[in-house]
This record gives sequence, structure tokens and C-alpha cells, in this order.
Amino acid sequence: MALTSPVPAPLIRDLSDEQFARRYGCDRFSATVLANRYGYIVEHMCGRLLTAAFSPILRDFYDFAATVSGPPELDYATPAMSATILLFTGTMTDSVRNTVEEYGVENVEPGDVIIANDPYRMGTHVNDVLFVRPVFHEGRLAGFVNLKAHQLDMGGTVPGGFSAAKSSVFENGLVLSPRPLLKAGRPVRETWTLIYANVRFGELLYPDMQTICVNLDLGERLLCETLERYGAGAVHGAMEYACDRSAEHMERALDRIPDGAWEGEDVLDCDGVDDSEEYRVRVRVTKVGRRAEVDFSGTSRQARTCVNATALDAKTSVGVAFKYLLDPRTPFTSGTARPIDLILPEQTVVSALPPEGGVFVYWELNQVVLSAVLRALAQAVGPGAMGGDRGSADLHNATGLLPDGTPWVSAAQCGGEVGPYGANRHGDADSQMLSYQANGIGMAIEAIESGAPVVVMRHEIEPDTGGPGTHRGGCGVVRDSVWLQPARHFFMSFRYKHAPGFGVQGGGDGAGGGIWIWDAEPDGFPGRTPLTPEAYRRAAPVGGVLDPDTNVPSRDGAYVYVLERPFWETRPMAVLRFLTNGGGGWGDPLEREPERVKLDVRDGYVTIEGAARDYGVVVSGDPDEDPENLVVHAEATRRLRAEQRRTRSRTAPTA
Amino acid sequence: MHTFPRPAEQYLFARRRPVQGTCPECGAAALAEYRVLSDGGLWDVRKCQRCLASVERTRAPRYGSYVPLGLEP
Amino acid sequence: MIGVDVGGTFTDVVEIRDGRVSVTKVPSSQTDPAQAVVEGARRLGVEGVPVFNHASTMGLNAVITRQLPKVAFLTTDGHRDMLDRGRVWRPPDRQTDPSWRRPFGDASKPLVPRYLRRGVPERIAADGSVLMALDETEARRQLAVFGRCNVEGVAICLLNAYVNHAHEERLRELVHEVLGDVPVSISSETSPLAKEYARASTTVIDVVMKLIFDAYSHRIDDELRALGFRGELNFADCAATLLPWREALRKPSRIVFAGPAAGTIASTRLGEAIGDRNLICADVGGTSTDVSLVVDGRPFLNNTFELEHDLVINALSTEVVSVGAGGGSIVGISPSGDVTVGPGSVGSEPGPACYGRGGTLPAVTDACLLMGILAPEGFAAGQVRLDPALARRAFEGLDTPLPVDRRIAFAFRIAVANIAEEIANIAIRHGVDPRDFSLMSYGAAGGMLLPATLDLLHVRRVVIPPHPGLFSALGLLSTDRVYYDSRSAYVLLTPQSAPQIAAVYELMEQRLRARAGVGRDAEDVTLRRSFDGRLVGHSWETPFIEIPSGPITGDTVQELVERFHDVYERRYGNRFPYVPVQGVTYRVELVVRSEKVQYAAGKPERTAQVRPEGMLDLRHYADEPLQAAEYRRESLPVGARVEGPAIIREALSTTFVCPGQVAEVGTVGEISIEAATRAAGGSDRWP
Repeated sequence: MALTSPVPAPLIRDLSDEQFARRYGCDRFSATVLANRYGYIVEHMCGRLLTAAFSPILRDFYDFAATVSGPPELDYATPAMSATILLFTGTMTDSVRNTVEEYGVENVEPGDVIIANDPYRMGTHVNDVLFVRPVFHEGRLAGFVNLKAHQLDMGGTVPGGFSAAKSSVFENGLVLSPRPLLKAGRPVRETWTLIYANVRFGELLYPDMQTICVNLDLGERLLCETLERYGAGAVHGAMEYACDRSAEHMERALDRIPDGAWEGEDVLDCDGVDDSEEYRVRVRVTKVGRRAEVDFSGTSRQARTCVNATALDAKTSVGVAFKYLLDPRTPFTSGTARPIDLILPEQTVVSALPPEGGVFVYWELNQVVLSAVLRALAQAVGPGAMGGDRGSADLHNATGLLPDGTPWVSAAQCGGEVGPYGANRHGDADSQMLSYQANGIGMAIEAIESGAPVVVMRHEIEPDTGGPGTHRGGCGVVRDSVWLQPARHFFMSFRYKHAPGFGVQGGGDGAGGGIWIWDAEPDGFPGRTPLTPEAYRRAAPVGGVLDPDTNVPSRDGAYVYVLERPFWETRPMAVLRFLTNGGGGWGDPLEREPERVKLDVRDGYVTIEGAARDYGVVVSGDPDEDPENLVVHAEATRRLRAEQRRTRSRTAPTA
Repeated sequence: MHTFPRPAEQYLFARRRPVQGTCPECGAAALAEYRVLSDGGLWDVRKCQRCLASVERTRAPRYGSYVPLGLEP
Repeated sequence: MIGVDVGGTFTDVVEIRDGRVSVTKVPSSQTDPAQAVVEGARRLGVEGVPVFNHASTMGLNAVITRQLPKVAFLTTDGHRDMLDRGRVWRPPDRQTDPSWRRPFGDASKPLVPRYLRRGVPERIAADGSVLMALDETEARRQLAVFGRCNVEGVAICLLNAYVNHAHEERLRELVHEVLGDVPVSISSETSPLAKEYARASTTVIDVVMKLIFDAYSHRIDDELRALGFRGELNFADCAATLLPWREALRKPSRIVFAGPAAGTIASTRLGEAIGDRNLICADVGGTSTDVSLVVDGRPFLNNTFELEHDLVINALSTEVVSVGAGGGSIVGISPSGDVTVGPGSVGSEPGPACYGRGGTLPAVTDACLLMGILAPEGFAAGQVRLDPALARRAFEGLDTPLPVDRRIAFAFRIAVANIAEEIANIAIRHGVDPRDFSLMSYGAAGGMLLPATLDLLHVRRVVIPPHPGLFSALGLLSTDRVYYDSRSAYVLLTPQSAPQIAAVYELMEQRLRARAGVGRDAEDVTLRRSFDGRLVGHSWETPFIEIPSGPITGDTVQELVERFHDVYERRYGNRFPYVPVQGVTYRVELVVRSEKVQYAAGKPERTAQVRPEGMLDLRHYADEPLQAAEYRRESLPVGARVEGPAIIREALSTTFVCPGQVAEVGTVGEISIEAATRAAGGSDRWP
């Protein structure tokens, strides 16, 4: 295999017309137009899937990706990926290469669709099935158009698959090694029947898969038109150009930060067996000139249940971290990862191998890897650092039967799915987001309540939980729900032990969250559950780092193991509370303008006590009764801040 | 290999094997060989530990140590 | 008939009297927008005019710039942050951008700051039953706080109020009791539809619009009357349908975004006149291109729209997608040396470099001027003189080794390629094949850019309508008065649910007739029913499934289920007959037909060959300058044929017919542009 130099020199922009044409097989204008065109082709391929699929997870959470990729002689270079789910970005190119190479390039024909879903071959989890359509031009394999999309079910012991307790590949679901779904345009019946013999909801998956094939037809047609119009030389040259261009973006961004080596780590609290072992991801990022390495030495071994992720997932989150901090605006291509080498021992919790433990809840480890790399790079990028988000995706599922026996399900609706981001140099953080690596439409409370016997009593930010800073981290979000019927609850929250909402540049960490249940003898509709210590004391703690006496989140408290039971059963009128972790702050909170602290008090993001304690700002007045007449006491604030600075320099080690 | 028992060690470490020679870019006698994951998948590399220049990059087996049973003849 | 389109820079006024079109353009005033409307009316004269139809982007501009009156938001206790949350998602292309904030979120620019968003203890269940009574003592206490803060209006949105409005209505009474006669909007009246966020944001916008439009519309009405106007003053809404101004003030959220939809209606009407029922409509302005679709003679309607990312308004609206490409799009150089066009724009101030208002960044308009497509004199009816030297200097200032000639050539081509890809994207998302469509091209910059997309988009033809620079205002004279109402109820569609659905319609239709003042058998009135439904398990609805008129029975409901599956299959290509269907939103539109613009068909003249005014050098299109013929549009008779390369100039617009294209003047004066040899297919016409 050819030596790939991570530094193409000279810069693309300095190439003469002749050099450019020699390298890329076309002129600069055609390369620009074609590179844009690949972006549009993947968008066109997504368009129909976004509207035509049955699966809500595709439409609401964009849990799919489309790519265009080059032929084997371009090493499957991927000049365009759809702006759908970040969690797929690092896996797509390798998925396509591995699938085609294992199936055999020589076996690929026009009209084929090759599929595969094995996480050890292609990252993410078994529900994400890859569909590859080869594209031919003048009788030669000229590239591929590809879609990877989350399927509602892939079999296994848990409907839909969403469980952290499955303990091996064999419980996880059907594993598809690379094989044809269509051969020369005709369905391969034994593949279709294999799938539908193993999965639930086959009637719903079947048309979704057909829609995917139709989208591949569209992508193929568009790429063929492009090939006919511009010729294979220009099309392939422009694919390399697009990838080189994004590699160069990343290299130039790396060049702008100082050389050095920085370490970062974060943890996943536990797996599904017990809480005796926490799973650490440790990275050492080394950067010299335009090159970087991320070494995962010191990372925990793979877990005993399906909280594991694979090496390609680690590649995703390393790429996402570098994009966020260094090159935020350009789209992903396979070239994004080129200047970065991951050094990753096998069989860690982010490079798991079969069959033990299995891989399903991979996204939680994507979040841990992202956090570890962001913490390491925070030391490199100075003011460009970002505070951590709330960490876990905090998914909650509940199921049960209505009095007439009809089953109901509430999936990812009443947990901590919506929570805060960390702050950065651009300002305070939003408090109501999905995680840094997810995106989607949050379900309306009225839609939730029309579909399941639940009443959402509260969805509000909790004051003083955002990491204090010159720019404040997003506040934790409380969601209280009353379950009107007997219910069975499943939890997937894994980030309480080590504040994931870390502060940067002197900003504070976000507060810890938790999960509680009030399941008293039914006595009518319970109404509002207060946020007072008395109320917490009466609750059954489900998760979090909580004060053992009061059940209130406390840094010095004890860890409550979320998967102590595989699920919780509750009686009618039980109350479930999720409080997400807070997001990290950016910059010294003592530098925040007192007027902004006053507005936070006015708006309930910070209490009067919190303003004094966390920001050294003395505010008086009644934010509830008379919010426009709060007063900042300038002199008292100056004194308090001076005092806090003195205390800090005496006690705190320099961070 | 197709089946991997869970490692006994709690934490795992990558190995870099120092090798003879100097870096053609920066001249340092600090070359090492190891496996990396990057654009193009898994590579066995010989790299300068001072400036991170790759002296040699050879494609590693597609899935690392994992060889699905039945794939090999 | 008079149509007035109040834009940010100009207020366009169009009058049709005895089939003759007169137009005037009045500079808009930020401080006193009514003044421009009245001035336009004065210039054209309003005596004897039967209708005066008005559209304005004033509401939209107030929201986007956050120049808003101080309003408060009252909701169910525990839920005041619904306005900060929106629907959670961020724009897909900003996912790794740390500078992105939700534009209306508390970390950015909320419409209502959190301290003026307050909860009241009360709770209604999804089925409308009362779980917790309204705590009036607490409500009064919160309203007293609003009073202390001098709020000017109050929006009320309680959870599940779309099924039970009792608590909202009581709260409105309490607002008046505590705060006096301030405007109040309640969600169960403004938009009684499921999903709290969209209903809440619509209600907030509604009360804001009441405060913005009230004095304005009274003033316009008074001053028009003083000028002798005795006809009807109508406001256009987001679907460019009309409603009497007093009716509009009842629910002004409906008129917040009038304007772009008018262009679609104008296109539809012109399409009828020339027998073209499938249109892609593209309004190319300075900063953006507004794209919409007309399928089988009807604009593509939506039940919601967004004022900015995720700022959702529930209202019937023509789907108009705005893409960041227009005459003012900035030409730049990327770090890797690509010529880029947009998405940034030079705006109207300072405008493109050639305007001579201090702009130094080159824009697409500068490229068109240097190519010879635009002439230095006569731009915007002679109101602006364009300076090619400044345009050239701007291109010279770009940091790239490319020769200046090629920078200009690339800028034009990339602008055209971007617009073509964006239009194709919109078409594909709506499941339409551009090859079956004509591209209706208007707006000041439409004619100079869109014909060049013909070869990339594979549309049947490009049509430049008469008066392309004022086409949207013409749309205000091409539309009907429409009263509508809608409400939500999650109902599983089975024959047993017929009485429930029938009751919903009975109530809505009765009220609508009363509002419109029409009886059951009134002529010129049509009633259209439709519903939005979903497959059980879905979180989104398929909108606009038609419901037959007449009584709603068990058989009707079974027919609705079939129709749902038909529409679903037509739109999305799949059919799920085994999944039950749930009705979500039920809608009635009462259409009162109004007088409209008539396009008079002219007869083709025998002399189809016309002589150009002159010849000019078309530069930067091919390697060598080409000779292009130059025409005045008003001197081209019906049936005239012009071969490209050619430039056709008129007062407010310029049309560029590319080499290899033929333009022909159609029966109502429209210019139709096609490829000279349609069979050539796929050949790259760029030199």
C-alpha cells in the first residue's frame, strides 16, 4: 500500500493550474462544482428517507447517514457525508470499504445492494444496517452511494434492542456479515427472508428497506449523470480534491494551536452486571505541527454487558472533538481524520471484540470519548475550549398495559433526554438540547400524553445547576412525570460519578443530577412534587451521586447504581423525576459582569444565594415578586469577590 | 481469531516498539512501530516520535485481530 | 384594484384599472410604515377602487430584529420553559459549531424573557378532564407581577388547552380584571391545535402582532377613507389569501409573513392563463431566493411555517423555502482556493460594490455587470447607476492567484450552479421531477440568473412573467378571501368516531359562516374540509387529507382512512394499510371568491423576427467575448423569437438568454425560454 503523507505540500490554493489539473484530473472550477455536487447528492438521497420512512427514529432523530464514495483504487474516499447524525461520521468510510472488500470487489455488479450490520466490522450497533450500491461507468466500477440507517428492530432478547443489560453478541440481535440484498437489481430472497425471520415489526421494516433502495437508485442516477457529464477522471479527481481539502482544513487548524501533549479522561459509571467496575477512557493527545495522535493507553478493558463501543466509534468521537474545537464549519469527509492517528489497544471498552459483553449502548461511550478528548484539548486551545455537556443521553423507556389490555410504550420521552450544553467563548449555553453528538426533534408533551398514560408535571431548568463561569453552562433540567397506570421503567443513565459537565478556562463544573421515584400507595392524583429536601427524602433513589440521608445530589454523596434492577415496576400515580447533570461553565465566574448575574437571578437561572456563592455578586430584592427591581450592590460585590479570590489562591491548586 | 475472552487486566496499553533509524523530516533517532487507526482504516506504521512524521505506513488486517470464522479458506 | 406589498426597502404599489396596470415604488419607512402605503395610494388614486389589498413583512421584521412590545407568557405551572426549548433540534449543518445558539432561547434572544414567563397551578389531562383546578389566587399574584413590570400584552397557553379551554378563558378574564384592557391572546382561540410549543409560540406572536398592527391598520383605513376610498381594505396572510382587515386583527399571527406567498399565487394565476399547471416558482432577490411549488395548479400548502430556525407559527401558509443565494450574494475565496458564492450577502446597504455606496466585497450583481448582462445605466428604473470600475476593483481585491477574468466567470457559474442545486433539492424533497415543471422566474435578479440554470435543472422551460420586478404585488390581485378555522383532537379513525368528528365540524362551520357573514347557500362561497392524520406510532402528521362535504358518518370515516393511505402513498411512496390511522387536526376553509387580475391574450404578430436595439460584448461567459443582441422588452411583440446570446431589458429587471437558448414572447406577454435543441441533452454548454 502506498505511503500516505499526512502533509500534502504545497497548499491546494497555491497550486498552479497545471499542477492542479495534474493532481486532480480537472480544472479548479470543475473540482469546486463537483465537490459541491457530491454534497447535494447525499442531501438528495436523505430527502426521501426523511419523509418516506416509517421509522420515527429516522425522521425525528436523523439516525441515518448517506455518503458518496470513490472506487477501490481511491480507497473508498468519501467526499461527502450527509449532515444527519454525528455518531456515524467516523464509521461510514470504513464500513463501506470493509463491506465491499469482504464481499469481494470482483463480485460486485451494477444494480447490487450489499448490506451488513456487524458492529465489530463497521461500528455503531446491529440496528444500524449499511446499504451499499456500486455505481458503474462505461463498464467500470466508478464509486458507491451508501446509506446506513437505524432499523426499528434487529431481533435479540429486547424489543427494539434498547437495553444495557444484554451480555453478549448472542443476545444482541441478528448479525449480518456482508451479503447482497439485491443482485443485479433483483431481490436476493434468502437475504430478505433471513432478516424477517429474525426481527420484530417486519411489516414496518420491509417498506423502509425498500425506500432505502429507492434512495440508492436516486443517488446512483445522480452520480451516473455526473460521470457522463464530466468523465470518470474529473469525478474521481474531484473526490480526492474534496477529501484533501478537508484534510488540509484540519491540518491548518492543527497548525494554529501550540505543539504539546495533553491528557484527558472520563468515565462510564458501570455496566449492567454491577457497579464494581467503572469504565475509564484515557487519552493522551500529542500534536506536532500539522499532525496529531490520540493514544488510548490506560483505557479500561471491555465491559461485561453491551455498553461497549468499537474502534470506529472512537474514531467518530475523536473526529467530532477536533471538529468542534478546530474546524467547526466545514462538512465531514474521509479526509477529516487524515491528520489524526488513533492508537488504540484492542479489547478496551471503546475497541471491544466479540463475543463477550456485546455492543449496543455505544453512544454513551462516544460521549465519554468526546469528553476525554475535549478535556485534553482544552489545555491546547485556551479560550477556544468548550465546557462539557450533561454527559449521558439519559434515555428512559417505559411499557405497560392499559386496563383493556392494550400495550403502550413510552420511548425516550420522559427521561433526561433534553438537557444542557456547556458554555464556550461565544456565550452562555443553551439548557435544552440533546447531547453534543445527537440531534433531533423533541417530542411535544401533549403528544406524549396522548400516546401513553402519563402526565408530565414539570419540565423546567433547575437554578444554580449550570457550571458558573464568565459564560454560564446550561442548567440541569427537571422532568417530573406521573404514571397513571402500572408501569415498567428501563434506565440508561451512565454519567453521574465524574461531573461530565466540566468547566473550562476557570469555569465551574455543572451540578450532578439524578433519578428518583415516589411510589406511594395510590391516593388520587399526586399533583406537584416539590423540589425540597423533604420531598427528596421521601423518594426512592434510582440513580445519581446522592447524599445518603437526604437523597439530594451531592458531590460528596454515594453513587446509586442505576441498573441495580433490570427494570423498576411502579404502581398507578407513581412519580418519576429526572434531573440532568448541569453543563460546564467557561471562564472565571468572578469575571462575569454583575449585571448579567443580576439578569440570571431575575430569570431564575441563579438564586440570590448562588449569585453570592458562585459569582461573588451581592444582589438583593425579590426576583419572584418584583423581578425588575433587583439591585446589585457594587461595593459589597467588590469586597466579596476580593475575599473569594483570596480564599481561592490560598486553598485551590492551580487547575 | 474469532472469539476473544475478556482481558484480565483492568486497563490496557498500546505498545510502541522502538526501531533503529532516523526521521527523514526532522532527523531525530526516535522511530517506533505501532498500529494506528486513521483515514483508510488500520495501518501498521513506522513513525517519528518527535515530529510524528510517518516513515512507513502499511495496511494492517481489516479488522485487526478479529478474523470472522469462516472467512479464511 | 390596488395591491400593496410593503417590503424592507421599497413599498410596491400596483393598480389595475380597466385592464391597465400602473405601478409605483415608494421608499419604505422604518419609523412610519403606514406613511409609504398611504403615499402609494395617493399617487395612484383610490377613488372608485373596489379593493385595496395589503401585504407586509413588517411583522416578520419586528420578530427577526426583536423590536417587540413587552409581552408576558402565562402557562401551566412547571412548563414556562417550553418557549426556550422549541422542538430541541439544531440546524443539521451547524452541529459541530460551538457558536450556535437557539436564536429564541434564553442564551440568545428570547421573545419573552424568562421572568415574564410564569406558571399557574392547574392541570388538564390529554382527554380534557381537569386533574387540578385553576389556582386563581396564585394566578392573580402572577398577574400582579406582570402589572408591576408594565407588560403591554399577555399570551396564555396551557397544556392540553386545545381540548379544554376553560382555564384559559378564565385566565383571560383575570388578566382584564388585574391589568385592565390589554391585548390578550389565548392558545385555544388563536390556534387550538395539539403540540404545546407551536401553539405557544403562535400565541405569543399573535399578541405581539396585535400590538404592532392595531394602530397601523386603523391609521391606514382612516387615511384611505380620507383620500376617498370606499372599497374593502384586505390584508393578505401567509398563504396570500385575503381577509378583511378587522377580521385579520382578531388573529394577526396569520398575517405575520405575507409577501413571499403572493409571488406563488401570481405564478399560479399566470400559469392558468398560459395553460401551465406545474411550476417551480423562484423569486430571486438581493439576499435570497424564495422557492415554492405549484403542483397541478395549486400551491404547495403547509400547516405551519418558521420565522427563523424552529420559531414555529401554526397557520396555513404557502411553503416558501428561502435559500441564501441572490444578486447580493458575496463572492469569496475559500482557504483551499475555491471561488465561493454566498451564503453571506452584501444586503441593500452597502449593496454590491458597483452601487458605489461604499461596498468593497464583490457580489453576483457585480459579476453580471462586468459580463455585460447588466448595463451601468437604467438599473432599478434608473434609480441606481452601476459603476463597472468599482465592481472590477472588488474582484481584483480577492486573495487568489486566479486571473480576474476567471474570478468573474467562476462567480457567475457557481452562483447559477448553487441556485440550480438548491432548487433541485427542494423539488426532490417534495417528490417532484423538475423535468415536468416550468421555472417561473421573477424578482429583480431572476431573469439574469435563472435562464442559465435550464441546462443544469432540466426543467421544461424558464418563464419570465410580465412585470417580474413587481410580480409579488400582482399576486395580491390574484387571490380570494379565505376564512378558516382548525382544531385538534387525537381520535382513532373508526366508524364509532364519526359523531365526535361531525360535532367538531358542525361547530367550526357554524362559526365561520357567522364570521364571514354568509348563509348556508351563499353563492361565490366554497367550503373545503381537510384533516391532518398520522399512522399510530408516528410523531408527525400527513396534512391536508380532503374530507367530502355533507354529513360525516361511519362510512365517511372509513373513506377518510382510505384517503389517508392514498395521500400517504402518493406523498411518500409507501402504504401501511395494517397500521391504524389517527386523526389529529381538523380544518375548514371558507373561500369567498374575489375579483382578480385578468391576463388578456394578445395575438401573435406576423413579423416574428425582431430587430435588436444594438449589440454588446458579452464577456467572461466564454473564453472570448461573444456578441449578444440587446432588446427592450416593451418593444417585443407577442410571438417574437429571440435567439441567445441575448439581453432583454425592462424597467425593473433584465433577462439573460444564454447561448444555445431561444426566448419567445407568449400570448400574455410572458417570455418563455427553452434550449434551442432540446435533444442535445447532457452536453456541457459551458465552454
